[in-house]
Amino acid sequence: MKWAKQRQAGYRSRHSGSKNIWFYIWRDKWLYLMLAPVITYYIVFKYVPMYGLVIAFKDYNVFKGITGSKWVGFLNFKQVFQTDLFWQSIKNTLILNLSTLAVNFPLTILVALMLNEVKYPLFRRVSQSFLYLPHFMSWVVVAGIATNLFAQTDGSVNQMIKHLGFNAIPFLNSSGWWVFTYVICNVWKEIGWGTIIYLAAITGIDESLYEAAYIDGAGKVQRILYITLPMIRSVIIVMLILSISKMMSIGLDAPLLLGNTKVINVSEVISTYIYRLGIVKAEYSLSTVIGLFQSAVNIFILILADRFAKMIGEEGIL
Amino acid sequence: MKNMGVSKKIKINWGTVINYFLLTILVVICFYPFLNVVAYSFSSNRAVLSGTVTFFPIEMQLDAYKEIVHRGQIWTAMRVTMLVTLLGTAIGLILTVFAAYALSKDKLKGRRWISGMILFTMYFNGGIIPTFLVIKNLGMYDQLTSLYIPSAVNVFNFIVMRTFFREIPKSLEEAAYLDGATDVQILFKIVLPLSMPIIATIGLFYAVYYWNDYFNALIYIQSPEKYTLQLRLRSLLFAGELGAAGNEGLAQQVMAESLKMACIVVGTVPILAVYPWLQKYFVKGVMLGSVKG
Repeated sequence: MKWAKQRQAGYRSRHSGSKNIWFYIWRDKWLYLMLAPVITYYIVFKYVPMYGLVIAFKDYNVFKGITGSKWVGFLNFKQVFQTDLFWQSIKNTLILNLSTLAVNFPLTILVALMLNEVKYPLFRRVSQSFLYLPHFMSWVVVAGIATNLFAQTDGSVNQMIKHLGFNAIPFLNSSGWWVFTYVICNVWKEIGWGTIIYLAAITGIDESLYEAAYIDGAGKVQRILYITLPMIRSVIIVMLILSISKMMSIGLDAPLLLGNTKVINVSEVISTYIYRLGIVKAEYSLSTVIGLFQSAVNIFILILADRFAKMIGEEGIL
Repeated sequence: MKNMGVSKKIKINWGTVINYFLLTILVVICFYPFLNVVAYSFSSNRAVLSGTVTFFPIEMQLDAYKEIVHRGQIWTAMRVTMLVTLLGTAIGLILTVFAAYALSKDKLKGRRWISGMILFTMYFNGGIIPTFLVIKNLGMYDQLTSLYIPSAVNVFNFIVMRTFFREIPKSLEEAAYLDGATDVQILFKIVLPLSMPIIATIGLFYAVYYWNDYFNALIYIQSPEKYTLQLRLRSLLFAGELGAAGNEGLAQQVMAESLKMACIVVGTVPILAVYPWLQKYFVKGVMLGSVKG
């Protein structure tokens, strides 16, 4: 009761403006104390690196440090934009992301719909367990398994293909097939995990809608087309927008581990390029330019996607 | 009457049959590659060479696993990864609980600013190189701390946890406030006991992240004795380290093949042994994360 009164008093006085900020800090000292390490963490490991982005505009010298290095304006940008490999890595990032999205996105929804039709709880639970399994494997392991399966001379898949009387396919060594293999590995890894969100949305649909449709004589397919899909429309749109807003970001692991020198013209993406230029060759300023450019484009796409979502009457993501 | 009952039983819904059939195939596709690796790791040299191993081991033997026990490198890497996973998960959970609990309170002044500061990093950050330079300047380069400190709090996990805390009925906490309990006491005596499912879920997410992390180790770790399991696996699987040891003959090379497979099994099984038991919880966790923060 005492606390409730105090809180009320707090609210009232905030409006009258007589209680000062120290009152609240003292009242919630434990909460602020809990936040202290988290805030410190974010400042040191997230916000200080943001300040570090200024080296994109400097000729960064390890010995002089960030403040001591010379300003060079947009010179680094000019140099990066004139590099063919930079544009190539952007193109590759977009190709790999878009083709993965094009296969993964509809398939995930399809599998979610299929799982939802399963009425035996045991079958459903066990099959879900197995579908989630690849998500828990590391990219090192997935790439190891993939090289084993898709190797040109002695991989299991090619042995089967040869057994059927066809020529072996260079899954890992020719540019076109490599993109195919990359997409397959990604879809394999994440398709099951992706269904969770749609299954959750489907569970939330009012059962009476289905009953009404059933009485009106709608078949299973019709119920999916006219009830399930429209009811999860906003989830589908939000997921699509989220994926599109990540078009310029790509994990380093998959392209680096699956790629090899023969397919570097398609496997060199933004993150691997930054890694090779920044970490391996220690070209800090140039690689920071690429990172900054990537972040800027990301923000731009995100805002655009959010605007679009709101335009078509959805909630948006920001 | 009897006839009707029978005809109802016989009636087969082909759509359902096809659905179950396709899902079964999908399950096999998801599981087979791993099962195949397990089968290879237990098979004899002759069977591996003939390439006939599919679902089950042929001429079962344990040589590959014995070899792993003899090679110190893999155990060293395993120990490093266990340590990093343990510390990373513990630190991650503590910080995430603290942040999520404090910022789930409506009464806290400045909570919008602080939440905003955390969420902003999801959309914009310094990127690989500036972060690398900060870690280097802090003297964490080639230290194990570089593996579990710089990624201690995950924004997604924070959102999931905060959403969960917000859903706990306020009346429980208010009763405790009336008894004069502090925020810390309420967290440990009321909120945490109610939050075990979400703690397990977020713990699993962190543990999987650290166990599978390759990127941070690749960038920050240089000394071979500090190699994590994924880094060691990568050098065993791709760089042909095993091949160098097996130049003496075909038997050695085949050995190398099943040894690779055994390494994959050893590196994957700990995580695979845990997640099915937490399935019901992490499904809920993903759902909570989808509710906008």
